[in-house]
Amino acid sequence: MAIDILIAEDEPSILESLDFILSRAGWTISSVSDGEAALVAVKRLQPRMLVLDVMLPRRSGFDVLKQLRSEAATRTLPVLILTAKGQQQDRRIAEELGADGFVTKPYANAEVVGAVRDLLGDDAGAA
Amino acid sequence: MRAPIGFRISNRRKSLRISQAALARLVGISPSYLNLIENNKRDVGGALLNRIAAQLSIDIDDLAGRAEQKLLQDLEEAFADPMLESLPFQPDERREIVAQYPASAAALARLHRAYAAARSNADAFADRLRSDPLLSQLLHQVLSGITAIRSSAEILADVPDLGEAERARFVAAISREAVGLTDVARNLIGQFDVSSQYQRGISPAREIDDMIIERQNYFPALETVAESLRAEVDRAGPFGVATLTDLLAGRFGVRIHVGGPAPEPGYPGHYRFDARQRSMWFHGATTLATRQFQLARLFSELVARDAVEHELAASHIETATARRLAARALGSYLAGAIVLPYDRVLADAERCRYDIDYLRQHYNASFEQVAHRLVTLRRPGAEGVPFGFLRSDPAGRLTKHFPLPGLLLPNSGHACPLWAIYGAFRQPDMIVRQAVRFSDGSRYLFIARTTQRRPAAFREPMVPSSVMLACDVLHADRTVYGVGLDLTDHSADVLVGPSCRLCTRHDCPARQEEALSPAGTVPGLRGPLVAAQRPLGEPA
Repeated sequence: MAIDILIAEDEPSILESLDFILSRAGWTISSVSDGEAALVAVKRLQPRMLVLDVMLPRRSGFDVLKQLRSEAATRTLPVLILTAKGQQQDRRIAEELGADGFVTKPYANAEVVGAVRDLLGDDAGAA
Repeated sequence: MRAPIGFRISNRRKSLRISQAALARLVGISPSYLNLIENNKRDVGGALLNRIAAQLSIDIDDLAGRAEQKLLQDLEEAFADPMLESLPFQPDERREIVAQYPASAAALARLHRAYAAARSNADAFADRLRSDPLLSQLLHQVLSGITAIRSSAEILADVPDLGEAERARFVAAISREAVGLTDVARNLIGQFDVSSQYQRGISPAREIDDMIIERQNYFPALETVAESLRAEVDRAGPFGVATLTDLLAGRFGVRIHVGGPAPEPGYPGHYRFDARQRSMWFHGATTLATRQFQLARLFSELVARDAVEHELAASHIETATARRLAARALGSYLAGAIVLPYDRVLADAERCRYDIDYLRQHYNASFEQVAHRLVTLRRPGAEGVPFGFLRSDPAGRLTKHFPLPGLLLPNSGHACPLWAIYGAFRQPDMIVRQAVRFSDGSRYLFIARTTQRRPAAFREPMVPSSVMLACDVLHADRTVYGVGLDLTDHSADVLVGPSCRLCTRHDCPARQEEALSPAGTVPGLRGPLVAAQRPLGEPA
């Protein structure tokens, strides 16, 4: 069953808020909390986009992104990166690896919703 | 201008009612040259200075104005700082400052030292902040916490129709994250508290250097203690690891373990004393010399701890780190004095002509231990050949130094690349010797050798160090190392300096760094092939 957004984030409180605001905006959500699980879930759930935190246990966000971009099936999957520390560096690497957008923590909820909307288009239903 | 050395020579000569011509004849130079020296128009050092001092029956230190020499060297180092490069110094300016205004010279040297230390502290801090894994982790936790709180708070504030259950959930999330952040904040503040104890102007290594230099590396009180401790061991049996082991077991219930696992996993040292368990552990690959030395040290620490404390109290050392290192240095001095008793070593050294390998065998000591001891044979009236001592790591960094009056060794950092101390790395475990000449004409014999610990595992990197002794060529014929070198042939000398920055040999092919005084740069060297048009005012 296809879902709209897969969220890969290991901080429970952040995950909870993200789930809430994105569901509220009308999208179907599923979530994982480590890098390995993210790769498995992308294959299984075939989301329309991935919200990917950089700091994940088991495999880092960059690792996951690199892996996704190296496979034909997921080469064009829209990926939104949540970066945190050392912002210049992380943004540059994400760009090089093929991320489609970034949001830097700490963010305003509206920023995330806006970035997702940019990547998925407007057809997700009203907020 | 009142010149330190020239003035003193002249003064002393006159007080002994010796004519300039007579003194000149006695030391083997022309009267006009002596006149130039007495008027400080020529430098004097090395062998010539020794001969003059001998003829005038004056201690070389008094004649050379040792304190002023040190001050001059400190000032040279301060003025070698790149930030002072473009200042139009007069030729003899530093020497004049030291002669005329010693307090100001000392102030300048002190300030520069403090500034250099502060600069290096700042660099260290910046590095630490950038790369400290704990700080970086804490900062990440702060960011996550704030992200969660902000997101949850926004939901509470902006979502109009939030259900009660949901409201409760997000309020709980904020609570939870706030508590977590409190811990992180405490941790972070704790980290900075620890870091801020890092102030101080001078590096601990430099503080200890100063203490040792001030005492001229001879501590009579420690020598006396060492004598009585050695006598105690001798009464218990022939001096060596076996007797020391028995003595430590009998008097203090200390057991020795050689080999086997380290007291803690990953302990990097090669020996460790556990006071609670009363056990001394040695790594299996330690040499006999190391075990003997450390057991002697342990014995002295258990029996005569006050001796070292007393010396520390008499020194001006303040920071905790410096005190710890100084305690170790003085403890080593004491151990060395026990393993290598003064009178016996002096007699043997004179007899074998300072053959360090012979002395090593005879006393079961290491090269460095013997070299160290030779430097400390400075009891007034019963001195050995005066040696200077330097130790370097393979990166070229000087890690220990005992100066020789007249030979200005760099305080820190690196030395001239031509010195044998570095050449020794290219011929490991062999003694490398060279006769060197500095630009003031003074000549020395350098003797260097690498030393290293035996590794514990295939993967353990072997980091040797190089130890160098230096003595005036005048004394070289009292040593076995002068044999075979034609020390009278000056053309065979290796032409060296203290370090490139301070060296005035502008035509040296081994130069690695620009000299402090750009005057005399050889055209064609260290610049573009096609010489640029020189703007007016630049020194030739």
